[in-house]
Amino acid sequence: MKCRRCKALAAVALPSHHAGFCPDCFRKFFLKQVETAIRRKKMILPEDKILVALSGGKDSLALMEALTRLGYQPVGLHVDLKIPGSSDVARKTVEDFCSRRGLRLIVADMEEWGLPIPEVRRKVKRPICSICGKIKRHAFNRIALEQGFDVLATGHNLDDETARLFANTLRWDEAHMAGQSPSLPAENGFARKIKPLYRLSEFETAAFAFLTDIEYTTAPCPYSRGASFTAHKALLAQLEARSPGSKISFYEGFLERGRPAFQNRDSDKEQLAPCQYCGMPTSAGACGVCRVRQLLQQS
Amino acid sequence: MIFVRLEPESEDLTLPKPNTVLQLLNRLQLGRTQALVIRSGELLTPDRRIHDGDRIEIRKVTSAG
Repeated sequence: MKCRRCKALAAVALPSHHAGFCPDCFRKFFLKQVETAIRRKKMILPEDKILVALSGGKDSLALMEALTRLGYQPVGLHVDLKIPGSSDVARKTVEDFCSRRGLRLIVADMEEWGLPIPEVRRKVKRPICSICGKIKRHAFNRIALEQGFDVLATGHNLDDETARLFANTLRWDEAHMAGQSPSLPAENGFARKIKPLYRLSEFETAAFAFLTDIEYTTAPCPYSRGASFTAHKALLAQLEARSPGSKISFYEGFLERGRPAFQNRDSDKEQLAPCQYCGMPTSAGACGVCRVRQLLQQS
Repeated sequence: MIFVRLEPESEDLTLPKPNTVLQLLNRLQLGRTQALVIRSGELLTPDRRIHDGDRIEIRKVTSAG
């Protein structure tokens, strides 16, 4: 297979684009996709201070690399969850990545925040993945707002977005479908959130990470085995293999024609007010994360 | 025979030589875009030939959780 642009030997084949690319042209293609996402969804203004959530996986590190190569000056944020066997590796991966590239990194240590995940898992009788997600989103938002960032970027890719849309569709979850977008404005105490990799698949971010010498962690979270999200991704991968381009068409079609319908019906938004302890938005007096922290302190 | 390293499982396999990368992916029940195929530091597209004695890394791309 030859590169579509320069006719050299291809290194990456993309059935959804009916194209192959050599390493150099693939890097250009990838950056162009990120640039297009940012422009079309008006994600970043020239003077914006950008915070990027870095897990240590390929997607978040690829996003940081892409934004830097596009001329932005993003700051990294890593949430150290203190999960044995995975958090140490993830933190070191992110620290090494940022230090090698001279990028500023903020680390939020959940032990210091009174929210180490193993302890949360022992004390709270709800699914840990949902609480852990809530704690991470809380930390991202709080640091973004308190430290004066204009926008919070995450490495969610096309596979993440289509799997989430598929799950929301299976439940016909109108509220979540109204709120699913690669670019959400700042409102009600939430920072602006963007997903500049939404046009790129996991395969493409993995190839970009490989071709830009990014060392990332693949250690799965020991608490997330058998997550339904992974099963949905596998189903969609089968569909994509039979019909290349299905995922981007499903998601872009939703953004253009599906989401507006759900947004119009989304009239019963919860009334939010600042949490009495941390100031983050909540529909109760104390936010869910502060309630978890109190539970841990009491026991 | 060829020698295959599967990641992220860190599993080593010795397999009869397939003709192409696509045949290797099929044998491992992987789609074309479900894994990176790496030989000597180079990414391989599904049409590339496999040679006897090749050492190949298959890096699955789906992140768990």
